[in-house]
Amino acid sequence: MTRKFFFFSEMGYNAFPEDEAKKHGFTSLMFPNSLFDAPTAADLWQMYLREHEFASDCGFDGSVCNEHHNNVLSMQESVNISAAVLTQRIKGMVALIGNPLPIHDNPVRVAEEIAMLDLISGGRIISGFVRGTGVEQLSTNANPAYNRERFEEAFQLIKKAWTVPGPFRWEGKHYHLRVVNPWQLPLQKPHPAIWAGGILSPETIRWAAKNRITYLVLGSALDATSSCREIYHAVAKEDGWTPTSDHLGYLIHTCVMDTDEEAFEMGKYHYGGTSSIGRNRGEPVAGGLSQGTGSGGATSSGPHPEWAAPPGYISKQARTSTMAKERRASEGSYDTAVRDGLIVTGSPKTVIQKFKHIIDRTDPGYLTFWAREGRKPHDATMRGIELLGKDVIPELREHKSALLTGKEVTPWPM
Amino acid sequence: MAHVTTHSTEISAIAGIDCEVRRGGKGAPLLFVHGEFGLPGWTQSCAALAEHFDVIAPSLPGYGGSTRPDWIMGVRDLAAWITWFARDMNIPTPVNVIGLSMGGWALAEIATVAPEFARKMLLCGPMGLKPEKGEIFDYFLESGVTGLRRSFHKPQESPEFLHYWGGEPSPDDIDLIDQNREMTCRIAWKPWMHSLTLRPLLKGVRTPTLIVQGAEDAITPLNCGELYRDAIPGADLVTVEHCGHMVELEKPQEFAALARRFFLT
Repeated sequence: MTRKFFFFSEMGYNAFPEDEAKKHGFTSLMFPNSLFDAPTAADLWQMYLREHEFASDCGFDGSVCNEHHNNVLSMQESVNISAAVLTQRIKGMVALIGNPLPIHDNPVRVAEEIAMLDLISGGRIISGFVRGTGVEQLSTNANPAYNRERFEEAFQLIKKAWTVPGPFRWEGKHYHLRVVNPWQLPLQKPHPAIWAGGILSPETIRWAAKNRITYLVLGSALDATSSCREIYHAVAKEDGWTPTSDHLGYLIHTCVMDTDEEAFEMGKYHYGGTSSIGRNRGEPVAGGLSQGTGSGGATSSGPHPEWAAPPGYISKQARTSTMAKERRASEGSYDTAVRDGLIVTGSPKTVIQKFKHIIDRTDPGYLTFWAREGRKPHDATMRGIELLGKDVIPELREHKSALLTGKEVTPWPM
Repeated sequence: MAHVTTHSTEISAIAGIDCEVRRGGKGAPLLFVHGEFGLPGWTQSCAALAEHFDVIAPSLPGYGGSTRPDWIMGVRDLAAWITWFARDMNIPTPVNVIGLSMGGWALAEIATVAPEFARKMLLCGPMGLKPEKGEIFDYFLESGVTGLRRSFHKPQESPEFLHYWGGEPSPDDIDLIDQNREMTCRIAWKPWMHSLTLRPLLKGVRTPTLIVQGAEDAITPLNCGELYRDAIPGADLVTVEHCGHMVELEKPQEFAALARRFFLT
């Protein structure tokens, strides 16, 4: 399959008052919603949707949408609603990354909504499933200690609802349904492609490999993503099969402008704001924002790391894994983030070379550009989308990974 | 002044798990059931009680050095396990019991269905009932250490707090706090730390009951102690002044004296 390129934006509420964020020290879970301004949010929605449309017009293969709760990071409290709107605004695929399964008490509802989306869009849906963040468990009162069990059981139930004729009964550990018999089933058979998104939990990577579904690395550094691919391939090998490029997706902060210098400056909006990079380093206020162009001024959960990791949500194995260390090591200054490729910035020429390096080392079948973030100006975002779509993507589409060709890895531009 | 009674700490196969048990003292058996933070050690109150009783203090399944069976998903499951523990330890029943916070809730559950289990029941800052005034503190919006500090009226003046949690916690300390929090999460997440059926069931309890609560309890509202007192026929409520939720740790001598008077009469 030819590599596919997607556009992603968290579509965050970037208009939150910075002084309040600094005062509280966090912008999630308990950040008072009295600070939310509905007319501003309505305008933001239109701006974000225009950006998605434009990406589609510029040659992106699709858009990616997401879900978060109680968080300025994203205004998408229902990924299925985002997807429903996007199917009507863009031409390509719509990937949901995705439904946080454990927060649902009736996973069949998720199966029904994805089926509706697939039917309405004419089979343009990719259905991602995630565990949800720690904050999501607290804001929806989903028991974090059973997060993984609920995720896996909900997944099995949804898959069965899509593939096994109903009616049938489900008596599991966490889910109990008298009659599973959703009338509408997906257009794509046996069901839309499934992605599992994660930030490098080794259990989730193994689980994805066991189930032969695409693992989408969410905004992590190159070394960690490379380790993730190795684990996935090792598990597949144990099970006697060989993954293809399609089994790995990679979501990367990307800021392309006409010149390297301009892109480097604009890229600062991707650092320390509402996104993940530079956000959870334990300081009450993210230091990276002192550079002045950042989007927020506050960490997401700031002095409350326990919100991100409520009891039982992160296993000891995941906390202490090599990839967790690689991830932490990458969360340094903005300069470090750019140097290590956590944020890819540059002119089209530079970015093409960087992504050839990334493809050579990780061979993702799906490359998603996180190309709008925080308070980055709309005009700059649109220019970045245009350059990506018209100059960068055509150069990368047919680039064969060195992992497949055995050729030398394209050097990272210095 | 630390008490010097000797005690043993052993992990062995009991009631279907590898169970950590601390035991010491002479006299009639006294089953000592810890709360949601587990039992940090042979505490001053254990030592003081051991002067008059054979104190038997298990780490409940999933807490401390005890293994976690996945089937325990609620406090009633824990209550059933406690009765198995007493059986496997050959503790004659009815036995005197002390339950701290969530451990008090578990003992109250036993009393609703097994009146022959406890001779007398002391519940300290018991969880299990939904307060009519105030709310049970939600530990999970704060760190484990914050929850512990909040469990004391004046943690920095408490030798027990300083002994167990006063220093910089080691990675092992943090792991243990996390493990205990996870087990609490597994069994008491929703509704948080209370049962919707316990209050009506307590009307049927006939076990002599003493409720002890710190006057400055910032975890379980004082109203919870009042509701217990009003629900269990004949129950008494004693409030300890200048003391937080963990009376057994913040005022160990007063706590042991209250227990002694209650059980020895």
